[in-house]
Amino acid sequence: MTAAFAPSTFDPATLQGNILRGYRLGRVRYLILEVGGQAEDRARARRFLAAAAEGGSAEVPAITRESSGKWAGGARPDTCFNIGLTAEGLRALGVADQHLATFPAEFTDGMTKRAMKLGDFDDSASAHWPAPFDQPRRVHIIASVYADDEGRIDEVQRKIADAFTVLGHRDGRNLAEDKVFFGYRDSISQPRFAEVQDPERSQDSEPVDPLGTVLLGFPNRFEGVLFSVPSPDVLGRCGSFNAFRILAQDAAGFEDYLDAAATRLLAHPLVDQVLEPGGEARIGRGLDRFGALREIVAAQMCGRWRNGVPYETSADAQLPDPPEAAVSLTNFDYSRTSACPAGSHLRRCNPRGGPIVQRIANYTRRLVRRGMSYGPDFDPATRDRSERGLLGNFIGANLGAQFEAVMCDWLNLGLQDPDVTGSNDPLIGANRVETSWFDLRLRDGGSIRLREIPRFVTTRGGAYTFLPSLPAIRYLAGLTG
Amino acid sequence: MTDAPGWLDRFVDSLPERGWFQFLSRYVVVPYWAWRDPKPKLPGGPRPAAQPGENLQCMMNLIMPLKDPSPVGRAKAALAIAQNVDAIFDGLDNVGTVHTARFLLLDGNLCMISVYDGDFSNYIRDFIVTIGSVFDEIMDLVVGGEELKPTAQNVDKFIAWVHAHDLFQAPDFPTDLFTLQDEAKGVGPGGPPHELRSLPRALILQLHANPNISLGGGYRAYPGFSAAQVRAKFGVGW
Repeated sequence: MTAAFAPSTFDPATLQGNILRGYRLGRVRYLILEVGGQAEDRARARRFLAAAAEGGSAEVPAITRESSGKWAGGARPDTCFNIGLTAEGLRALGVADQHLATFPAEFTDGMTKRAMKLGDFDDSASAHWPAPFDQPRRVHIIASVYADDEGRIDEVQRKIADAFTVLGHRDGRNLAEDKVFFGYRDSISQPRFAEVQDPERSQDSEPVDPLGTVLLGFPNRFEGVLFSVPSPDVLGRCGSFNAFRILAQDAAGFEDYLDAAATRLLAHPLVDQVLEPGGEARIGRGLDRFGALREIVAAQMCGRWRNGVPYETSADAQLPDPPEAAVSLTNFDYSRTSACPAGSHLRRCNPRGGPIVQRIANYTRRLVRRGMSYGPDFDPATRDRSERGLLGNFIGANLGAQFEAVMCDWLNLGLQDPDVTGSNDPLIGANRVETSWFDLRLRDGGSIRLREIPRFVTTRGGAYTFLPSLPAIRYLAGLTG
Repeated sequence: MTDAPGWLDRFVDSLPERGWFQFLSRYVVVPYWAWRDPKPKLPGGPRPAAQPGENLQCMMNLIMPLKDPSPVGRAKAALAIAQNVDAIFDGLDNVGTVHTARFLLLDGNLCMISVYDGDFSNYIRDFIVTIGSVFDEIMDLVVGGEELKPTAQNVDKFIAWVHAHDLFQAPDFPTDLFTLQDEAKGVGPGGPPHELRSLPRALILQLHANPNISLGGGYRAYPGFSAAQVRAKFGVGW
């Protein structure tokens, strides 16, 4: 046990490159892979991993590594390739049962067995997931290939298909202006690490996160607590866990709900406490009162206006004066008198330093989020209902203490604040029309309870994966049997 | 067909009261069925529910077998709790999601009975983060405890251990037992249906695997409110 907690040294070259920061490339393809059942299949997969960890070859793409600071000179790769393995995948490559037993239960259980904690019931139940996630035991590896050019992605896929059975794939892309289909600007706040240089984030006021937030073997935000490093040490150390999720977003349903809410508010006696008469111009250019009320509902549900401006610091205006460019998107905190509703999506996912019931939990459940959208563009004017959504990665050192803790207690129970306990996250929660509610905050501190909020985000697939370090990939490549 | 039971039904119904059958079932029938149709030990604690309000005021019945169940050993356990009771109550206060908690000495077991809100793993993790050192002292006294020390560096292992030592809560709807047993065996919802008349056998076999259980999830005199909601309502801060 003592050896497992010897302090790790931070060597970026031993890490996969998609953990500590994103690549900022325009497209991604997730390839869902199976290691064949024959000895020769395992041997082929191991040869592939060995070559990929050693910088690749003509037939094998290289695993993209973290390289803090090195890409500043313009040497950024145009194609990035990384892997995550499920517990079944580790088993298929030959990891012994005694070693698998040292991984946390939520990982070895797999995502489908944690359904109730994650809100994966009703239409989100794994029984409704399309292939290949309808057969979770066959999902061994989720490989991600990032590039701006689809041709490069195809090229990498051809190489991967020589070594693994490709059960399926999902393509994602960045939407214009970093938006998601609900119309919000996304990916603004992420954990940051002292060890990773990111000039764009140097002015953020949120506390810097310890490496143990995402990497096994490093101290984390819990004082004196260390997450166990799975055995053998070379496999577990400097690894990370990822909740990969395919999340369908009902953009049309969301816009419809904003219409319904605004219609109700227009007839409400307290409507002037939602929006002062004549305040429409600060909400959006060319908006009438109905349109402005829609945006206020959207902003309070999220905790940000759709252009990214935080509701906390600009409660009365999406277009603050001075203009939004002068408003920090990241530097604010919550308090007992916050303008931002406690039930909003932002405050549920990351309550920052604000008051929460679990007093010791502030900043302990931070997650790295990397997502891209899938499906056709959405036009709020026509509101077609094609499936579209987010291919999300929620990365942390402990799925139970971070991803699941946020999903069950904060997003789908509201335990952190007695005023929202018993309600789900209005945007991404497991809402049911019969019981859902969200308290819209009024200018005088009062509230109007919005009800009949449908579920806007449905799970369509996913898996818990382990993101091994480069030495761990070499270890896997060297297994026998 | 008449509703009145025939002679065979009456005979079968009377079997549990007959001494020879009690002997036979104890030493032959139950061990035989436990071999033929083994039921995995089911994990403890409440099962998460879809409706948020159902995940409040959850019950934990943690049964920790003492290494030394003699009066001296039990006195040591009583002392360990008494010496740390302030720290334990401070810890529970800081976790913020606990309604009540108490310790019992029951035969050779130290028991912690508590009512808490939300996810079980979060409750135990936050508790260890707050007062892990106190739990290390308790782990010295219970069977298997030394492998979990220091608890702050074995959080996942400790959570799994508590989960295994928390009493299984029999479902409030008796036939749900079939589903739980199937899940524990890895049988999906599409498996063969169970005959209602096999429910008593399923229960007996489960009691063979889990000798101590909680009969249902417990009674609540009012709908689920969180500890913080109660505190907020009474103006005592949260």
